[in-house]
Amino acid sequence: MATRTIQREKLPSLVPPPVAGIASLIIPGLGQVLARETRRGLLLFGSLVSITGLMVWRIYDLAHLEPGPLAMLRKAIARRPVFVVPMLIGIVALWLWNAWDAYRQAQPDVKGGAGIFVLVIVLFFTLGWQIGEIDLYKLGSELPDAWRPLSQVLWPWPAAVEREEEILSAGADILVPCDDNPPPPPEEVPGQPYLVATPTCGELSELGENNQIIPGTTLKLVGRGFAPNTETKIWWVDPLGNEFVVRQSGEYVVFQTDDTGSFEIELIMPYRLIPPSAAGPQIHRVEARQVVGTGPARPSEPLRISIARMIETIFLGMMATIFGIFFSIPISFLAAKNLMSGSWLTLAVYYFTRTILNIVRSIEPLIWAIIAVVVVGLGPFAGILALTIHSIAALGKLYSEAIESIDPGPIEAIQATGANRLQTIVYAVIPQMIPPFVSFSIYRWDINVRMSTVIGLVGGGGIGFVLIQYIKLLDYRAAGIAVWFIAITVAILDYVSAEIRQRFV
Amino acid sequence: MLEVKHLTKIYEDGTVALRDVSFTVEDGEFLVVIGLSGSGKSTLLRCINRLIEPTEGQIIWNGIDITAADPAQLREIRRQIGMIFQQFNLVKRSSVLTNVLAGRLGYVNPWASLLHRFPKEDIEMAMQALERVGIADQAHKRADELSGGQQQRVGIARALMQQPKMILADEPVASLDPVLAHSILGYLEQLNQEEGITVICSLHFLDLVQRYATKVIGLRDGRIVYRGTREDIRRMTDEEFKEIYGEEAVRVSVGPREGGA
Ligand SMILES: Nc1ncnc2c1ncn2[C@@H]1O[C@H](COP(=O)(O)OP(=O)(O)OP(=O)(O)O)[C@@H](O)[C@H]1O
Ligand SMILES: [Mg+2]
Repeated sequence: MATRTIQREKLPSLVPPPVAGIASLIIPGLGQVLARETRRGLLLFGSLVSITGLMVWRIYDLAHLEPGPLAMLRKAIARRPVFVVPMLIGIVALWLWNAWDAYRQAQPDVKGGAGIFVLVIVLFFTLGWQIGEIDLYKLGSELPDAWRPLSQVLWPWPAAVEREEEILSAGADILVPCDDNPPPPPEEVPGQPYLVATPTCGELSELGENNQIIPGTTLKLVGRGFAPNTETKIWWVDPLGNEFVVRQSGEYVVFQTDDTGSFEIELIMPYRLIPPSAAGPQIHRVEARQVVGTGPARPSEPLRISIARMIETIFLGMMATIFGIFFSIPISFLAAKNLMSGSWLTLAVYYFTRTILNIVRSIEPLIWAIIAVVVVGLGPFAGILALTIHSIAALGKLYSEAIESIDPGPIEAIQATGANRLQTIVYAVIPQMIPPFVSFSIYRWDINVRMSTVIGLVGGGGIGFVLIQYIKLLDYRAAGIAVWFIAITVAILDYVSAEIRQRFV
Repeated sequence: MLEVKHLTKIYEDGTVALRDVSFTVEDGEFLVVIGLSGSGKSTLLRCINRLIEPTEGQIIWNGIDITAADPAQLREIRRQIGMIFQQFNLVKRSSVLTNVLAGRLGYVNPWASLLHRFPKEDIEMAMQALERVGIADQAHKRADELSGGQQQRVGIARALMQQPKMILADEPVASLDPVLAHSILGYLEQLNQEEGITVICSLHFLDLVQRYATKVIGLRDGRIVYRGTREDIRRMTDEEFKEIYGEEAVRVSVGPREGGA
């Protein structure tokens, strides 16, 4: 028989079942304790007390301005009915269930039953939901708004190249108001963009007496000879030279030209910005404008900066790793118990080194970076310092453990051949040390490059530094380029370090 | 001739591993040390080449006091004493050939050896040693790619490279199955008989002791409680064996049929 079940004899209850039930009604869990189910009783007591306590706190939090507990409860129910009402029902149900459970546990031959603990977990979960301010509605309702910046981050590459830019525009004069001789349509010049408005005169939109809208004349605009498939905006130029992009029912008039660089739209003449002049009819102007990239594409500034900063990041991680290795090797000898257990003095050094390493290691590199920025100012050097400090501590511990786990057998065997101390180190110690040292060092480089992207966020140089700036400037495309570089580098490094470690171990 | 006189070893923690141990081994002898786990067998063998410093007593080998040797003399002595271990003690990540060549470290130019450079003759000698234990084809494998029996043969080849006058073998077959045990001890017996190399070997199984020993000493709690010749050991009864191994021990049979452990 391979399987064994642990059977616990049930001790007889100290009290009859009804007494146990009533006891639990007064103090939750008491009845179970009396029924010799002490652990179950304590667990239920703890659960009910903490759930009730947390619920009181949440109600106070929701309604602490109200006078008196009852008013608070009413206010809390009014503010969060979906949370408060089921919770209150649940707590009452748990309380009653706990009494019934005590009644049952006090009977002979009745055991266990986990249902009540499911209710306990559900109540804790509900509390956690409310305390954590989890708001799926918000997540759902705000996601569409976030989609535009998010999509720019996910696919930032249109911003990776830039060209010389040129404005392509054509306009037509519009007489306001109409008189006998409206301006003629502009002459068409071959090879130049060309805009015809019909009619060439009309009335601007206006607000009437009661703020009702009096729409102006509708113009039909026909454009030819523009750049194809390009964003085009309609501008209005008034006689004083004020320029603005025309809005139609609140939205800017922006559209794409077709394959041949033509378009045809209708436009209601905009509101007047200047009071009607006594001087009679005035010439306004409607213009269609495009911003067109000309010349060869070249890497944009965000792309160039991201590449430069990514290289800086990789080297930042590398320098920190090299410094870390350099300083942690001697330290690791001091932190290796097998080497340091000779006398109480060396043992004291061992414990001291270990303690320092543990403290330094438990402080996140981000915190070290903040400290380093205070000391040496913003820039990659601060990042190198922070990562070096953390690497020394982390590698020191790993290396010392590698030293501690050295097999003394080969050392003994090499000594027995008559080898001297140096030969023993070269033939028995170093071959055992190389794999863990290489493995840990590569692993650390991997971590350091990854960390250095984060350390940039607090001013420690590298790509994180520009990433946080782009985000603050709401330049999501540029931020997206930086994010892509980080992701690509980390993935490559992850792969390379895994490969190297596999080869060596 | 090896003379061990009043050898005592007390470890730093106060454990007395050997108490006043005295015996002599003639050249060409196959001495087997028996005794329960913890009786001091490993300590005794390691005291002989001073991998462990004896606390008291003398060890005199062919007139030279090993216990009084300075570090340079000690290396000179050690290189003439091959050693074989229960756990083989190979450098696992180094090649088989490098492990075998390490047996020459006491002879070669130390500085050249730090760069892993060995004379041609030594490399040929290493291949011959591997040939002799039948694993020349494994020379360029990593040591930990070999099976246990093969690893122990590398251990023997390493000891052979020292051109030893004596071999210390600390339970050389305790991690191997019985068939392999006979094959490994067979090599030691061959070296002992054909080249007159003195062998001091600790063993656990009476059958192996009876088969290979020319002389036996039994240790218990660091004291010698039994001394026997080849004839004595052949006639040894289970009762005498128990005397050495204590009441809980039973005679373990190592034969092709039963196998033992
Ligand atoms: N480095 C050490 N420090 C302290 N005590 C030790 C040390 N090495 C061995 N001992 C003790 O010395 C005694 C003899 O040990 P030893 O290893 O020589 O026994 P052994 O006969 O080889 O046993 P086994 O058959 O298990 O290998 C044991 O009690 C052991 O615990
Ligand atoms: Mg031993």
